[in-house]
Amino acid sequence: MEPQTRRSAHTMNDPRITSYALGELIGREREEFERELAASEELQRALNETIPVADALHGFPMPAETFGDARRSALRRAFAENAAATRRKAKVIKFVTNTGALAASLTVIVGLASLVLTRSVKLEIPSAPLTARVLETDAPSPRVTLLVPPSAPNSDPAPPSSSPLTPAPPMGFAANRIGDDEVGVLLTVAASPAPQLQKQIAELLAANDAQTASSLKNGVVPETPIQAAGETARFVSGNAAMPRPKVGAGQEGGASLASAGTGVRLRGDIPLAGRLFRPGEMAGKDLRTSHSVTSVSGVQATVRLVGESENSERSNTETYDAIEENVFLATKDNPLSTFSIDVDTASYANVRRFLQGGQIPPAGAIRTEELLNYFPYQYPQPEGDAPFSVNLEVSRAPWDSSRALVRIGLKGREIPASERGAANLVFLVDVSGSMQSPDKLPLLQTCLASLVKNLSPKDRVAIVVYAGSSGVVLPSTPGTDKARILGVLENLEAGGSTHGSSGIRLAYTLARENFLKEGSNRVILCTDGDFNVGTTNQSELVSLIEKERLSGVFLSVLGFGSGNLKDSTMEKLADKGNGNYAYIDSPDEGRKVLVEQMGATLFTIAKDVKIQVEFNPARVAGYRLIGYENRLLAREDFNDDKKDAGEIGAGHAVTAFYEVIPAGQPLPNQPSVEPLKYQPAETPNAEHPRESTILKSGQSNVLTGGNRSEEENHRTSHSQIPTPISGELLTVKLRYKEPNGEKSKLIEVPLPAPEIPAFDQATSDFQFAAAVAAFGLKLRGSPTAGDMGWPDIQKIVRGNLGADPGSYRAEFLTLIERAGRLRPADPTADQ
Amino acid sequence: MAPESLIDRVLERYERPLISYAKDITGDLESARDAVQETFLRLSKQDLAALESRLAPWLFFVCRNCALDHCRKIVRFSQDPVDENRVSDDPSPAAEAVAAEDGALLRQLVSQLPPQQRELVKLKFEAGLSYKEMSETLRISVSHVGVQLHDAIQTLRRQWNRKHAGAPTP
Repeated sequence: MEPQTRRSAHTMNDPRITSYALGELIGREREEFERELAASEELQRALNETIPVADALHGFPMPAETFGDARRSALRRAFAENAAATRRKAKVIKFVTNTGALAASLTVIVGLASLVLTRSVKLEIPSAPLTARVLETDAPSPRVTLLVPPSAPNSDPAPPSSSPLTPAPPMGFAANRIGDDEVGVLLTVAASPAPQLQKQIAELLAANDAQTASSLKNGVVPETPIQAAGETARFVSGNAAMPRPKVGAGQEGGASLASAGTGVRLRGDIPLAGRLFRPGEMAGKDLRTSHSVTSVSGVQATVRLVGESENSERSNTETYDAIEENVFLATKDNPLSTFSIDVDTASYANVRRFLQGGQIPPAGAIRTEELLNYFPYQYPQPEGDAPFSVNLEVSRAPWDSSRALVRIGLKGREIPASERGAANLVFLVDVSGSMQSPDKLPLLQTCLASLVKNLSPKDRVAIVVYAGSSGVVLPSTPGTDKARILGVLENLEAGGSTHGSSGIRLAYTLARENFLKEGSNRVILCTDGDFNVGTTNQSELVSLIEKERLSGVFLSVLGFGSGNLKDSTMEKLADKGNGNYAYIDSPDEGRKVLVEQMGATLFTIAKDVKIQVEFNPARVAGYRLIGYENRLLAREDFNDDKKDAGEIGAGHAVTAFYEVIPAGQPLPNQPSVEPLKYQPAETPNAEHPRESTILKSGQSNVLTGGNRSEEENHRTSHSQIPTPISGELLTVKLRYKEPNGEKSKLIEVPLPAPEIPAFDQATSDFQFAAAVAAFGLKLRGSPTAGDMGWPDIQKIVRGNLGADPGSYRAEFLTLIERAGRLRPADPTADQ
Repeated sequence: MAPESLIDRVLERYERPLISYAKDITGDLESARDAVQETFLRLSKQDLAALESRLAPWLFFVCRNCALDHCRKIVRFSQDPVDENRVSDDPSPAAEAVAAEDGALLRQLVSQLPPQQRELVKLKFEAGLSYKEMSETLRISVSHVGVQLHDAIQTLRRQWNRKHAGAPTP
């Protein structure tokens, strides 16, 4: 052997070559190897000879042998039977926050079906070394497509959202073009240092993007980036095994490619480390160029954003929709703000669970309006015929005294138990294996039992269970036979797997068969969220619920347990079903929802309640609605009686806050727009601030409404409204329907506020609620809560505990304490 | 996730690689299927949540043991498994040409690797396991995985080049 070969043989013995080619080399080792690689032609040659072999091995066709169907169904049965023993305890958030060694990035290829159903997010991971490049020679015109659905490889495959994500970025073809028939493409991803990824996850969480963060977690197996690449390969090889992997644009997420060197077709998403160092690019100059590309170019990691519609590839976790906080809107551009009320409280109980478990809840789980509505307030009962009272109040914002805070408080009429109509209830109980843990089915049994004990003789209860199969375990039974109801309830057992769709049909059928014309007809879905809709997809389920809503049967959802809560799904179902969604994490919470607030939970007094606020531009420069992000309506929807909106139950209270910037003050974060050429000039009136009067401190203004109510009096368009009454800050308009009505009624309440009182002059309830809002904003890491610290919030709460029946406010104090420990004062300082 | 959908997911992902892996040990398909079925049955009794992060090594480790058990029971254990698809060691020139085309040559070369290297190649390229997962499956160190796999690939490369007429010999 000549010396050259011997040296080569020595180099060839370096196992790092293979590790690198397979993408297993990470971190400092990798950087070091790349440095050596750049310096040593021999190492480059060794690598370049190794890669085709690896490619060829990757091209092994998937083994053909499978189980027969008989074995497969035997296994499914075994899994269903053993379900009881397999309880899921994993919590995604815990995982995300605990992954100390997390160091990776990833590509998750969005499958065909999931492209329609999910969104993709592109994350730039700067300074990560390049990993991937794939050569494709098979197609007539060489092209490598990533994440493009096969049906439309050339059209814009943008995901169904306005997210800034594009599936197939132009990936520097020119830089990587090797020959006429060879195209290199950045396929995947590489290591980014652990702190970086963690920071990214933290940022995602802070940016209300819990799903992306959890996807990031799901796609990335901790510790090595390679596993991330392996994860990708799994996705694709699973898909590719299905019909036949063919080279071409967009095939199964675009990862089926051929290698030029071997002519062997590649399968899956291959770690492509070092593939820039191929023969033909070996000259020193080219190499350096390529190398600089590897380390400088940002690597794109594609993260699947898990939407509500799932496919089986997603591993099972709790899911939350991202919440995009409302921004300040200028009054002159947007004089009207419209939203649907929301009486849900689930978010508070869920947030409490997280905090008590020592975790900051994901931002998507924190719905400020639900935190606000969790607490009882001393709003007065409505006067006259109106089903609810409207209570407006304003003070300066506790976090910024130059701004005002306006509260809209609705209070539904209380109906004494004796005057209540009868209830026809169908409990639809999830008895799948996952419900077995003590915080699920046993808690559910306790809670429902306490509800049943409070039922009147004229009420009726039926129980339907669903799991592997569904069935009626208790036909509709009158409230006189409580013993029987309780007996059945007690004997419920968890086991089997979830199949919700036939169960829900059955429940609705029972409710309709026993329909009470004068009463409350309601299906109460009790689940841990593992609501597998089986053959029906989610939109079918939603349309079923919407259809049944028209028949007068409403749907309430009670969420239980942890680990797998499908928060957004459950909220949506309840929302569509004219019902409410509560999360029950303790017997106390169950008592609150099902006993103390039974009327509110079960008896709707007004439906499709919409709020439209008209701001006076002479007083208000801009405003933002705090919370209710997923309840916003278009201004036209307000008068559209076909548009569904929130329901209010007997005794329910709804609280909403607007943060208001007085006229004359600039709006934050307003993108500068060139002055409009064709718009009439600003009226001098609107330009003149009334700062001096607005900011005088004074007495708080409380206004109890229900006045100015007018029936079916469609207002003319607001262009005909006379010049604004200068003393009024805003006017709140409400539309609602009677529970069985189809036509909406209108209530209008103006807020005259010549002066904005100081925060500490506001009513106790107002101050407390403002503190809750600040808590929600701060917990989400929103920068909009100003510099209020946890102790400031706590101080307000402590000073305004009031009578605190049920000690809910006192408990809130402890949550602030925990939040303060978990998330230090500066939300960015805890990373 | 409901166990039913979980098993579907696991099957989709691992059924074929596991059967192929087991078949290399047992030597026949039905025994391999038995071994993999036994593996999944054991899986159904596990705490899946706890297992999730190391599912792949667990499956392949258990599958390996099940397959070996099977071999012991029927006293037919063979380190050199019989593969009905296997190309004979001395292919005719014509067959070799075909092999070079469709990758069967490579498959043949893989089958000639030492047992552990062969296993690693299968785990890496068929099952898509990472070094770490392979190390957990075979209870060897990650660096040993690296060395063995590197050896395997360099062996394959040399033999590949040798068998390819006109290919430069390193």
